[in-house]
Amino acid sequence: MNGTVGGTVGGTVGGRVLREDAWGKVLGQAAFPADVRREGQIYAVAVRSPHAHARIRGLKLDEARKAEGVVAVLTSADVPHNGHGVLYRDQPVLVQDHVRMAGDPVVLVGAETLAEARTAAGLVEVDYEVLPGLFDPEEAMKEGVPALHPEIHGSTNIVYHLPVCKGNVAKGWAEAEVTVERDYQTQMLDHAFLQPEAVLAYVDERGHLVVEVATQYAHYDRGEIAHALGLKFNQVRVKTVSVGGAFGGREDISLQIMAALMAWRTLRPVKMENTREESFHSHSKRHPMRMHYKTGATRAGKLTVLEARIVGDAGAYASWSPNILRKAAIHATGPYEIPNVRVDAYAVLTNNPYTGAMRGFGAAQPVLAYESQMDLLARELGLSPMELRLRNICRVGSETATGQVLTGSVGMEECLKAVKSYLGEVSAR
Amino acid sequence: MKKRGRGLGCAWYGTGYGNGFPDVSSAFVEIHDDGSVSVLTGAIDVGQGSSTIFAQIAAEELGIDPEEVTVISGDTDVTPDSGTSAATRHTYNTGNAVIKAVAQAKASLLTYAARALHCTTADGIELKDHKVRVKGEPSRSLPLAELVSKARLEGERFLGSDSYTARTTRVNPETGQGAPYWPYAFGSQVAEVEVDTETGNVQVLRVAAAHDLGKAINPLQAEGQIAGGIAQGVGFALLEEVRLSEGRIKNPTFSQYLIPTVLDMPEIRAILVEEPEGTGPYDAKGLGEPAMLPTIAAIVNAIDDAVGVRITSLPATPEKILAALAEQSKK
Amino acid sequence: MKIELTVNGVARILEVEPEERLLDVLRERLHLTGTKEGCGEGECGACTVIMDGKTVNSCMVLAAQADGHAVTTIEGLGNRGSLHPVQKAFLEEGAVQCGFCTPGMVLSAKALLDRSPHPGKEQIAVAMSGNLCRCTGYDKILRAVERAAGEVKE
Ligand code: FES
Ligand code: FES
Repeated sequence: MNGTVGGTVGGTVGGRVLREDAWGKVLGQAAFPADVRREGQIYAVAVRSPHAHARIRGLKLDEARKAEGVVAVLTSADVPHNGHGVLYRDQPVLVQDHVRMAGDPVVLVGAETLAEARTAAGLVEVDYEVLPGLFDPEEAMKEGVPALHPEIHGSTNIVYHLPVCKGNVAKGWAEAEVTVERDYQTQMLDHAFLQPEAVLAYVDERGHLVVEVATQYAHYDRGEIAHALGLKFNQVRVKTVSVGGAFGGREDISLQIMAALMAWRTLRPVKMENTREESFHSHSKRHPMRMHYKTGATRAGKLTVLEARIVGDAGAYASWSPNILRKAAIHATGPYEIPNVRVDAYAVLTNNPYTGAMRGFGAAQPVLAYESQMDLLARELGLSPMELRLRNICRVGSETATGQVLTGSVGMEECLKAVKSYLGEVSAR
Repeated sequence: MKKRGRGLGCAWYGTGYGNGFPDVSSAFVEIHDDGSVSVLTGAIDVGQGSSTIFAQIAAEELGIDPEEVTVISGDTDVTPDSGTSAATRHTYNTGNAVIKAVAQAKASLLTYAARALHCTTADGIELKDHKVRVKGEPSRSLPLAELVSKARLEGERFLGSDSYTARTTRVNPETGQGAPYWPYAFGSQVAEVEVDTETGNVQVLRVAAAHDLGKAINPLQAEGQIAGGIAQGVGFALLEEVRLSEGRIKNPTFSQYLIPTVLDMPEIRAILVEEPEGTGPYDAKGLGEPAMLPTIAAIVNAIDDAVGVRITSLPATPEKILAALAEQSKK
Repeated sequence: MKIELTVNGVARILEVEPEERLLDVLRERLHLTGTKEGCGEGECGACTVIMDGKTVNSCMVLAAQADGHAVTTIEGLGNRGSLHPVQKAFLEEGAVQCGFCTPGMVLSAKALLDRSPHPGKEQIAVAMSGNLCRCTGYDKILRAVERAAGEVKE
C-alpha cells in the first residue's frame, strides 16, 4: 500500500526498491528493544568489575537485598550453566571467582524501577583481590606466563595459530630484487552502533521464556539462553525487534541471558538497558593487530614473496578470535598473486576487553599493511601504485596463498579500472 | 600549509563462515490465496537491508511486486535458522535459500497452472506481471490471484521450505592450504585528502569507491552500504581508538570516542561493478563488510602522497602526523 | 514538581521529579518512544526534539526546563497518510538504514528548513552535524535534506 511514494519504487531485482521498515522509522514507530515494555516490568542492572584481573574473595549483598524496591539479587550461584560463547563457552554469565576483564558482570540486581535498581547495585560490595594483569599480547604469548583459561584453553594464552605456507619463501627471496619491510599496528575499535543494548525478557502464558532483543542471530541467542538456564530450545523464544546497527558487536551474548535469568527467577517481565558507557564496557571490540610485513618483488614489478607475522589481541575471552585471525592470515596477501608465502597469525588472550567480530572480521587490519607495502614497493620500483597493482592482482584462474583457484566472479581489475580516472597524477615521490 | 594528495586502496574479502563450517541458511515460503506471499527466514535485518533483498528476490521469481511479499525474520518461534547477520552472507546465502524455497512453491504452482491452461508441461508456463502465462503465447494466461484462489478450492497449496549451504573447505592447520571461502568480493577506492601541516589535521575530501558485488539486487541499498563503509573506514583511519589503562577503557563515551560526523565525510562516488557470480542469487555476492576496507589504505596512502610521511600505526591522528613531519624535516 | 508543557500540540500537566530529563518524560511518561537515547550526554542527537522552534537534545534538558514550552517530537510530524516533506525525502533517498538516528535526523532537518527554506550544502551539513549516524555515511541523509529543500539536481 505504501510502496509508491514519489514513484521511486520500481522493478524487482535490480530496482531501487525502498525498504518497507523505513516508513516506521521515519515516523518514529519502529520499536527498538528499549521501546518495548510490558505491564509489571522490573529493571535489572549488572554490577561489573572495575578491575581487569581479580579473584573474588566474597560478596556482601545484604544491603542491596534490603534496599527499597529490590526484587532479587542474583549471583553465579543462580546460573544453572554458567558459560556462553560463540566458539567456546569460556565467558561466564556472572563471574563466580575469576574476573578476567574490566566490565565482567558479577552480580545482577532487579528492582521495581531503574533508579532503585541502580541504587541497590551501588550497595553491592564485592571483595576483589586484584591480580597482576596481562595487557600486552606479545608478553602474554611467551612461555611460562600464567594462562588465563587453563580449564578451557590449556596452558597457553595462544588461543589460535595458523600458518599459511605456499611455495618456497627462500626461492622467493632469491628472486626478489626489491624488498620492503615494515611494522604496522591497528588499534582497538568499538562498533559504536547507535542503539545501546537493551532487552525485555518475560515468561509468557505458555510458560515459555520470551526474550525481545536486537541481535544479529536470534537462533544463536536462543541456544545460549536455553543452555545457561537448562531449558529446551522450544521453551525459549528470541524475538528480534528493530536493530539499531550491529557491525559484529551484537554477535556475542550481552544482556540476553542475564535478563532471561532474572525473568525466570522472579516471574516478572525484566527490562535491561545499557547506558552508552556500559555498552562500551561490555560488548566485544575490534582486535588490535601488530603486523610485521616483508615483501619482495622483481624489478619488473612482480611480487615474488611475502613473509608476515600477525598478532591479534583476543582480550579476555575467545569469542570469534580463532576465526578472525584465520581470516587475517588467509587475506594477508591482499588481492594479489604471490607465489611464495609464509604467514603466521596468532590470537592471544590478555586481560584487555575481549575482542570479536567487527565489520571486516580480521580481513580489515591487514589492508593497512598490504596496501602500504604496495605503495612503498611502487615507489622503490618507480612504478605508479596503479601499475604495480595491475601487474599483480588476482584474476580468474589466479591461485591464492591457500592454494584456492579463483574460478568465478573476480572483479578486482574492473574495480581498479573504474577508479583509475579519480587517481589523476599521483606524484612519484 | 594545506597540502592535497590522492591514494589508492584495494581489498578483498572472502564471504561466508568459511573454513568448512556448515554455512546454512533456511527459508519458508507460502503463497497466499490472492497471490501475495510470506517469506520466513531467521536472517535479521540489522539495518543492512536483507529483508528488502529477500522481498525483491521472491517477487522476481513469482512475477509480483516486492510490496506483495512480507518478510518475517528473526523470531525463533516462527522462522527457520538462517545463520548470523555477519560475514557478508545474507544476500548470497540466505538469498539462495529464499530462491530454493520459492522454487518449491513455484514448482507445484506451475504444475497446477499447466493443467489449468491446458499446457502439457510445467516448463511451458511462466509467471510475469501478476499473470500465469503460456510461454510464447501471452494471450493464454490467467491472473495469478485467480489461479491461486481457484487452486485453493481444489485443495492445492503452494508452499516451500529449503536450505542453501555455501561451498567451503577447512584449511589444513599446518599449512593453511584449502579453499576456505566462496565467493570473494573485491573493491578499490581512491581517496583525496587535505593535510594541514600546521595542525596535522587530515580532511578527506573525496572518495571514489568501486566494488564488485556480482549483481546489485538493490542499487539504492548498495550505495548506502558503500557510503556507510567509507564512514567507518574514515573513523578507523583517522579518528577512532579505544584507549586502555590497565585493561580498563579510558574513553567510554561519545565525547571521548569520536566517530565521524557529517563534517568528517568526503564527497562520495559509489561505483557498482557487476562481475556475475554464477552460484549467487541473480549472480549476486556480498558487499557489506568489503565496503569499508579499501578506505583505510586509500587514506593512509593519500596522506603519504600529500606530505610524504608514512603512517604505520592507526589512527593517523594529528599528533602522529606532526611527529612524522618533524621527523621528516630533520632528515 | 508540576510542569505544564505542550507536546505535539497537546497541553500536558505532569508531576515530575527534579532530576528527570525531558527525554524521560517523553519516553517513560508519555510513551513517545520515537525519541531515542543513544548516549545520554548530548553527543549523538538521537534524542533531538524541537522546543519552541529550536532543536534541543532532550537528554540534556531537565523536565523542569521544558515547563511552559512547546515540544515537537517525531510523532508530531506526519503519518502514513501525509508524511512531512522531510520524512518523504528520507524514504525516497534511501536515507534510512537501521533507523535509530532517523527521528533525530528528521527533526534537525525540519528545524533547519523551517528557519531557512533554501539552505546550501554547507549549511545543511553544519545543521546536521550534531546528529550521529553509524550506518549511512550521511551521504543519502544529505541528499534527502537537499531534496526536501527542493534543491536536488538530478
Ligand atoms: S541521547 Fe541525547 S544526545 Fe545522545
Ligand atoms: S541509520 Fe543507523 S545510525 Fe543512522
